[in-house]
Amino acid sequence: MANDSTATSQPKFLQHHFVDAEQQFDSAKMGMWVFLVTEILFFGGLFAAYIVYRAWYPDLFVEASIELNTVLGTINTLVLIGSSFTVAMAIRAAQLNQQKKIVINLAITIFLACVFMVIKYFEWTHKFHLGIYPGQFYTFEGIPHPKASVFFSLYFLMTGLHGIHVLVGIGLMIWLLKRTFNGEFSSKYFTPIEITGLYWHLVDIIWIFLFPLFYLIE
Amino acid sequence: MTGHHISTNKMLLQVAGALFLLTLLTVGIGYLQLPHPWAIIAAMGIAIFKATLVALFFMNLWWDKRFNAILLLSALGFFSLLVGLTLLDTLYRVPIIPEF
Amino acid sequence: MATEVSSNLKKVQVRRFKPKEDPEQNYLNAEKGIWSWLTTVDHKRIGVMYLASVTFFFFVGGILALLLRTELWTPAKTFIEANTYNQLFTLHGAIMVFLFLVPAIPTALGNFFLPIQLGAKDVAFPKLNLMSYYLYLTGACIVVFAMISGGVDTGWTFYTPYSTSSSGAITIIVSGIFVIGFSSILTGVNFITTIHKMRAPGMSWGKISLFNWSLYATSIIQILATPVLAITLALVAMERILGIGIFDPALGGDPVLFEHFFWFYSHPAVYIMIVPGFGVVSEVITTFSRKHIFGYWAIALSSLAIAFISFLVWGHHMFVSGQSTLAGMVFSFLTFLVGIPTGIKMFNWTATLYKGSIKLQSPLLFIFGFFFLFLIGGFTGIVLATIALDVHLHDTYYIVAHFHFVMVGGMVMALLAGIHYWWPKMFGRMYNETLAKIACITIFIGFNVTFLPQFVMGAQGMPRRYYNYIEQFQIFHQISTIGSYILGLGFLLVFIYLVKSLFTGEKAPVNPWGSRGLEWQVSSPPPQHNFNHTPVIVHGPYDYHQPMDEFQLGLAESGNGHGDHADIKIDRDEPNREL
Repeated sequence: MANDSTATSQPKFLQHHFVDAEQQFDSAKMGMWVFLVTEILFFGGLFAAYIVYRAWYPDLFVEASIELNTVLGTINTLVLIGSSFTVAMAIRAAQLNQQKKIVINLAITIFLACVFMVIKYFEWTHKFHLGIYPGQFYTFEGIPHPKASVFFSLYFLMTGLHGIHVLVGIGLMIWLLKRTFNGEFSSKYFTPIEITGLYWHLVDIIWIFLFPLFYLIE
Repeated sequence: MTGHHISTNKMLLQVAGALFLLTLLTVGIGYLQLPHPWAIIAAMGIAIFKATLVALFFMNLWWDKRFNAILLLSALGFFSLLVGLTLLDTLYRVPIIPEF
Repeated sequence: MATEVSSNLKKVQVRRFKPKEDPEQNYLNAEKGIWSWLTTVDHKRIGVMYLASVTFFFFVGGILALLLRTELWTPAKTFIEANTYNQLFTLHGAIMVFLFLVPAIPTALGNFFLPIQLGAKDVAFPKLNLMSYYLYLTGACIVVFAMISGGVDTGWTFYTPYSTSSSGAITIIVSGIFVIGFSSILTGVNFITTIHKMRAPGMSWGKISLFNWSLYATSIIQILATPVLAITLALVAMERILGIGIFDPALGGDPVLFEHFFWFYSHPAVYIMIVPGFGVVSEVITTFSRKHIFGYWAIALSSLAIAFISFLVWGHHMFVSGQSTLAGMVFSFLTFLVGIPTGIKMFNWTATLYKGSIKLQSPLLFIFGFFFLFLIGGFTGIVLATIALDVHLHDTYYIVAHFHFVMVGGMVMALLAGIHYWWPKMFGRMYNETLAKIACITIFIGFNVTFLPQFVMGAQGMPRRYYNYIEQFQIFHQISTIGSYILGLGFLLVFIYLVKSLFTGEKAPVNPWGSRGLEWQVSSPPPQHNFNHTPVIVHGPYDYHQPMDEFQLGLAESGNGHGDHADIKIDRDEPNREL
């Protein structure tokens, strides 16, 4: 007689192994935070390599950093902060069941993320034009330091990995946009937006550190 | 979903505004060419403060279950171990062969 | 949110839910057909698939080992070329470490029993669980593909600069391991969330099984360490493809940096391998002594201590790498510390056995094997932590013997104990107990014959990974090779009688061992959703002095409890209870 599927009908989004929507939401958030821990350690390896090499070759880092365009870097930082703001607004809109605002804010977030990638594209192609490539393909003569390629290898690796994460974020948010159009989200259920937002904020935080470490060494 | 904090427009705008200003501040300080090690301390200090604002107020850790914040802090703690113990090697090597 | 204990007490109506003996419907026959298995989100079926996969790769790795040991019968070539030999030991190591040791207990036994022991219906993210499995399989296939498309001869440790410059399918194999790393990470995410959020009403942290504590500690290590391995392997691949130079001295890089990053994962990884084994030991020892575990919190918290300290010691793999003396001394000191929580466990287990009502059945026999062999392995680890000794013993057979004692003598024995212990629950069948005892003794003898000589020859200077050797070591190698065949026979015997039991074994009762664990309060095999009621927990899983029916309580009406509530006060209105 005892049966724990509740007497009232279960909402569609509630998975059977959860007791109620709150448990499901809290679990999703905790799961995403645990995943973010792994992302921090993943990037952490590269940050560790950066720290080791900057401690060994401080002059190289000062010289090489000049090749990076501080203005574009600043713009990109502001763009990402803006996109964090709009994704937080999208979550707020979902909490208040404002369907139109979810769409608008998600769309702006995606747009800003694309702006970031476009600027990145221009930065990278400009470097390639100068002969600044990663690793063994580096041919730029402009920096006298013999280990110059290490700085740029780290630059391409770290901004490249970050860029991949931005692209994944764009993909996720386009999917969220589609689901919003399908009417899947409401103030009762917006978990995917919440956890994608958490992911996106971490992408922003990583750039907050990448920016001064590469662009602001003078 | 009762009990989950809903941020106000005003609060989010204020945090975003602060982040914008801090970005411009860190660029400005960069131009000042502070002597080592103050340049890196200032830059990292501002970055850490910005990241904290994002974590607390955009990622909602201020109102969230404490365990999620513990997760974040532990990740940073273990990252510090990775860096710290590695530097214990890389910064303290004695050159065996002088020419290298 | 500070609350007094009393405000968390709720009154609930409970009644007993006696598990059915010999159920017609269980998770194995609930859905039929191979597609239902391939698309399952049932943690039990996923656990069984993992069990089959890790067993398969264990035998692949084992055959590679037998090939190696046979080749070492004589110095110089016996029947394999030197280059092939290098590939064989690389693959033996990579397959055993990444495809067997790291996943085995958490994914096979952990997936199956973690939710049931918590009183949950599944893990927090069942679909992610299935994805973990497919990531594991994909990564494993990529590793096998690397094996056959050029091979890898760097050793499973992939040290630079050889790994970044050697020809061979290194980029492919590190990609495979990268993918498996994701599987590991997602399993860790799932377990941590499940343990936090999906405990049955009444199950406070102090009532969680020690197996679950060990899985919790393991998951913490998995999520912190595995990403660093991932980025390290990615850097090796980048170095090979783009010539990045982070590890190349000619380009300003440092090969020792690779070792730092690699061992930052790989040392905690060995604790990912052994800590779940410790959890199994706790479960089996209590059941077969019919006694409460001695020092529950000491064992639970020592798992967490091991998880933490394991991140502080990786440099003990690098004493002779050229790292600074300061780092060497710090790492050596910290490594001595890591033995302490493990030692605490060993003492507590022994104290649990003391004055217990001991039933010497096969699971416990495997645990006794574990005790002896892991003790030697652990002690020799402390020997190796001493820099002055390690300088001589590094890269000799002493190391090989040490890690086989802890990994095979420790982890594999614990895994076998767990498989035997939980076999009746997982498959509803009893295996042949006599054959199990014979297999256990065969394995124990075979293992010692294989690996004890290796300590001796290592101390005498026989290097590891060497294809050729001088005359004085031949007798040790030959004894070791004979032992390896005995060991192989033992494992084969286990496989045979366990698989046979699936078809002809006697039907298992609900609780053949009389355990108080929650997984033993459901049918053998369990129903598809584990529980058709909401279990209510009033005792810890080691309270052998409490009557069995008080471990089978559940909410009398529909309505659900919540994962993180504290203790529940039970209203006992039935004065006479049947056992």
